[in-house]
Amino acid sequence: MPAEIDPVLKNSRREAIIITVAWFLSTVYCCTYCYFTGYTTSSKPLGMDDVKPILGMPSWIFWGVMAPWFVCSIFTFWFAGFYMIDDDLGKDHTGELEQDIREGGLDG
Amino acid sequence: MDKAQTLHAEPPTLIALVLFTLISLGLGVVANLAQRKGNFLEKYFLGGRSLGAFSVALTAAVMSGGTFVGFPSLVYSFGWVVGLWIASYMIAPLTVLGILGKRIGQLSRKTGAITLPDLFRERFGSPALGLLTSLLVMFFLVCNLVAQFSAGARIMKIVLPVELTNWFVSPQVAANTDVGYYIGLAIFAVTVIAYTTYGGFLAAIWTDVFQSIIMAIGVMLLFPLAMKASGGLAEATYSGMRQTDPGFAFGPGAGRAFHPIGLAVSYFFMWAITGMGQPSTLVRLMAFRDSKTLRYSIIYLTIYNALIYIPLVFIFVAARSILPNLSASDDVMPSMVIKLANPYAAGLILAAPYGAVLSTVSGWLLIVSSGLVRDIYQRFFRPAAGEREIAWASYSTTILIGVIASLIALRSPAYLQLIIVFSSTGMAAAFLMPAILGSFWRRATATGAIASMATGAGVTLMLYLIGSLGTETLHLDWLLSENPPIGAPSRFRPYYLLGLDPCIWGLSSSLVAGIVGSLLSPPPPEERVALLFDAQPPDAPAPATLDLHPEVGHASS
Repeated sequence: MPAEIDPVLKNSRREAIIITVAWFLSTVYCCTYCYFTGYTTSSKPLGMDDVKPILGMPSWIFWGVMAPWFVCSIFTFWFAGFYMIDDDLGKDHTGELEQDIREGGLDG
Repeated sequence: MDKAQTLHAEPPTLIALVLFTLISLGLGVVANLAQRKGNFLEKYFLGGRSLGAFSVALTAAVMSGGTFVGFPSLVYSFGWVVGLWIASYMIAPLTVLGILGKRIGQLSRKTGAITLPDLFRERFGSPALGLLTSLLVMFFLVCNLVAQFSAGARIMKIVLPVELTNWFVSPQVAANTDVGYYIGLAIFAVTVIAYTTYGGFLAAIWTDVFQSIIMAIGVMLLFPLAMKASGGLAEATYSGMRQTDPGFAFGPGAGRAFHPIGLAVSYFFMWAITGMGQPSTLVRLMAFRDSKTLRYSIIYLTIYNALIYIPLVFIFVAARSILPNLSASDDVMPSMVIKLANPYAAGLILAAPYGAVLSTVSGWLLIVSSGLVRDIYQRFFRPAAGEREIAWASYSTTILIGVIASLIALRSPAYLQLIIVFSSTGMAAAFLMPAILGSFWRRATATGAIASMATGAGVTLMLYLIGSLGTETLHLDWLLSENPPIGAPSRFRPYYLLGLDPCIWGLSSSLVAGIVGSLLSPPPPEERVALLFDAQPPDAPAPATLDLHPEVGHASS
């Protein structure tokens, strides 16, 4: 019978996948939105009239950086506050390794 | 003469820095008293795995001299696009602490590891991997330490009264030499080496927490002053556009293509992903108290990042209205503080960058000295050394590394911020993929980890070499196109292959090498892997014990 997988590993892996997806979505949203609304290109020169300030910021910064920053913060509070599991990280073997180094020397 | 020396700070600014320094030294003494019981190495280099949520969060805030000197300069020079440059800090607390946190915390306990080389060596069962990790950590961190020592000296030089430098040398000599820098370096070096050596990991952490709080207060004080003086962000934005060009309000930035979209994508890797692979981060992940601590530290760090980085962008956009056409943009932070705040508040705010450098240096000094003492001296030369001998080896190594870094920094290196980015990228490219593969993939082998580490570090070094020397000098112009003129202007710069930062190439090549190297080598011993990947009884042995006494493994399984 295959051995049972370590529960900390199982939970950590699931949480790591969700965090990676959140990072990917934030990257894609911010870079895509900012590029199409806030980047000057040869075919799309931008000037004073295109700033369209919201709370003093150019509108592309407000919607492309500040708004997702707020959403990410809310997601983080929920994820770390309620979703992540309080796993027991187990016994600390520091003393045991110390002993092994003393016994094993070069090969320890 | 350095431009920074022309800045004039009032005497109360110096008083604030002296107080700040004395408190840091005091925390070193208290930390020493607090860690006298128990295993010396675990206490001195890891604080006995007792870090609370506040400490983990504030010390993982990855602020250094660059945060308060280099970053403001970028905002002032290139404008709002720097908001996108830093945007991945919105998700960085989750990625940096959440992806590897619990697993590294667990593996370090299961193996008994107290340093990063310890962790890799025990996870993969390879002394060669442990040694390679130590050597790479030392190489990259010493580069970084020299840059940070120099940053600390430069800040101290600004607040030193001219009378003090004249007391050491005549005005004629002072005019021809950078004596303020040398005195600043001496004061900075003695402070940080003293409290780090005496107090160890806890001193580094406590001073880091204290300094992080001061930094937050500094930013919070400066923010309303800057907003009031500038007449508002929109006015500052238009002012910046008139002083530079329309790029001040848009990407890729004013004056040059500072942050084209390829680099924008790269910097979502740079801060949120490479942050995970820094030895300083990985060591903190080995030192937090429990899972609950980790969860709370993610929340605290999210709040802290929002309170620091968003206001910093606003403050230094506003600086365009307050200090138009500043010739040396690196001086924008101290110049703003001296212009806007009363001398006592200025002292407190200027203590922020000084504290950022101090706290960064103290943590790194310990990582380098732990690598030498634990992973080389104890492992290879004196495995049977007693506590007292190890303690003295640790103290003297910490002092030695600090002195060496100070001596190299006597010749102030140029491109401080770029040296810091280079070494951070190199360390992430070397250590992140072995850490991820070792944590989540049971088939990962020592050969794969070595291949991953060497490839990641090698690719990063190569891209910086090509970027700094040029494709023509290296006779590579037949293969590679000209380096695009993007990013911050500097002679020491990477080669932006396909317009992307080296961190992307370093990380991806490291991942591929790690997977291929593991699959091409024999699978790791099942008994060792089972201890780390399968559910185990509470009395299961550490992997090192299994190597020395294989019968223990049979007995427990």
